[in-house]
Amino acid sequence: MKLIDALNIVHQRPPEGESPCLIYLASGFNPLHFRTFLAAELSLVFKNRAVELETGLYGDLPGNIERLSNIEPESGVIMLEWSDLDARLGIRSLGSWAPNVLPAILSNARARAEQIEEIIIKAGRYAPLVVCLPTLPLLPVSFTPTWHASALELELKVCVESLGAQLAQSPRIRIVSSEYINSLCPPAERWNLNTELSTGFPYRLQYASLLAGAMARLISPPQPLKGLITDLDDAVWRGILGEDGVDGISWDLNCRSHMHGAYQRMLQALSASGVLIAAATKNDPQLVEEAFQKRQFFLPRDAIFPLEANWRPKSESVERILKAWNVGADSVVFVDDSPLELAEVAVAHPGIKCLQFPAKDQVEINHLLLTLRDLFGKNVLLEEDLMRVKSVRQGHQQQQDRKQSGVTPGQFLKLAEAEIDFHFGKTPLDPRAIELVNKTNQFNLNGIRKPEAYWQTWLKNPDSFLMLVSYKDKYGPLGKIAVVAGRRIGRKLFVDFWVMSCRAFSRQIEHRCLQELYSRFDVDEIEFDFAATDRNKVLEAFLNDMLGEPPFPGCILRRALFLAKFPQKFHDVEEFTYE
Amino acid sequence: MNELETRLATCFKSVLPDLPLADIQNANPDSMEGWDSVDIVTLFAVIEEEFGIEISIDDIKLDHSFRGILSCIRAKQQK
Repeated sequence: MKLIDALNIVHQRPPEGESPCLIYLASGFNPLHFRTFLAAELSLVFKNRAVELETGLYGDLPGNIERLSNIEPESGVIMLEWSDLDARLGIRSLGSWAPNVLPAILSNARARAEQIEEIIIKAGRYAPLVVCLPTLPLLPVSFTPTWHASALELELKVCVESLGAQLAQSPRIRIVSSEYINSLCPPAERWNLNTELSTGFPYRLQYASLLAGAMARLISPPQPLKGLITDLDDAVWRGILGEDGVDGISWDLNCRSHMHGAYQRMLQALSASGVLIAAATKNDPQLVEEAFQKRQFFLPRDAIFPLEANWRPKSESVERILKAWNVGADSVVFVDDSPLELAEVAVAHPGIKCLQFPAKDQVEINHLLLTLRDLFGKNVLLEEDLMRVKSVRQGHQQQQDRKQSGVTPGQFLKLAEAEIDFHFGKTPLDPRAIELVNKTNQFNLNGIRKPEAYWQTWLKNPDSFLMLVSYKDKYGPLGKIAVVAGRRIGRKLFVDFWVMSCRAFSRQIEHRCLQELYSRFDVDEIEFDFAATDRNKVLEAFLNDMLGEPPFPGCILRRALFLAKFPQKFHDVEEFTYE
Repeated sequence: MNELETRLATCFKSVLPDLPLADIQNANPDSMEGWDSVDIVTLFAVIEEEFGIEISIDDIKLDHSFRGILSCIRAKQQK
């Protein structure tokens, strides 16, 4: 982004209605144009909200971070540079670089890093934080030539890396990746000596823009995709199973097919962190199962669900996989080495992200792995991520058992020993609540997505409530699968957000949620901030059933009508309140 | 306005969005309220980026009016 574009974005008239998004930027240097770039990037992220960006005082990083607690912004941004650790590491100070002073510089930097760590962790209690460790090149402080890494330089780097590692332990603090920044802009192209001397602003414009974009992405990260459907032949392994046989396929250094093994390792890692992995292959299903039984893949057979092996068009296999997962095509990546197969699936499933497996180019395979990491990357791993793959399998089993049992859905839930827990705590905000609101499509009251920062502010309203719902039955736990958030005013409840994971459908959890709300808040009616989206047909159908008419924005469900429609209880219930 | 003047006017407008387009050619920090040092630094940064030129500390000391900056850009482009 160019500065003129950033200024034009910042000067646009802010949208009316929504409360502004307050971000606090703490730095020891003059943030000048970085502030403009960050405000512009955040305006693009928070489309419907004005962005207010407050900054601190020049040259006082610790004090500026401490001021954050008075402001209580939605997010804090903390920018460190070397001069914040010791003024002599900055160009504007003319303190001595004599060799006998270097130990004092290092000792001072260490002490300051400890102080900053303490202050940042404290500030993290008031707002989620994004921290950027020093990114400018070190000045030639030491007596060694510039091609010789001095002990001072290395010790200083250890000092900031250690600071970053400590801060990264907190789920409320995100650190800008130096690897990522290095890949976009080499250190020599970051510093603007002229503006640092004239105004105290140390960055070149292009670099400031890049850094602002990275930090905005950390403040409001893109939603990770949910599932990956992969081809097997010339993707998970090198070779055509039907032609080369079970012993003829490979994924190792000796056969020069090592990057297929690297792809398997990535799929296994994604699966273990909650990404759904399925396979769609044109193959004999028995031969595929034989390959998984006889050969030791890095990607275990049970990490793949479903495995579609047949000779029909791949789009049909993808159709069945999406149905088994109960997710939309736009949450899924399809990987295949054949451009023809990719095109066929892309036409049949608009929105699916099709990536070609570059079987003949090892470097490109590595790029594919990086792309997959970004598409599925998460800021934190939650309990639900670790149980997702298992619970999708269990859900599938439960559906089959229900079809075969011949009993009513309610009776089946009794037999399944269904249990629901309702959690009503607002602080600390459970990251799973935000994840659910920002990921769920089919059972979503209005499709409105809000970042953590918004929730922190919204939940401070004493009238607001947040209900997080967990479910388990004899097939296993589903974890936290639904969120209802709203406000109670008098004897009326306003439901502003309501989402439920697609893994939890067909268990009457939505009915039980409403029952809990009427009971806990003792209200006569519930008003829903419903809005039809392209995807929320499941919730629309549920409200239609309850109301006896199609839902509309502000539709109201009276207690008597609800109880007449749903008098039964099929689940054992526990209620928890944390305030 | 010729092309150079129009491009410079766009730069002024991005930094001083409330300044009417008709007044930009006569814009002068001495005669305008609310035009502060941050605006001047920002304006020069925008001009550097838009015109691909470098403005030194000595240049900044010069005339900051629309006409003064226009002359500065012309001189740099002729070098």
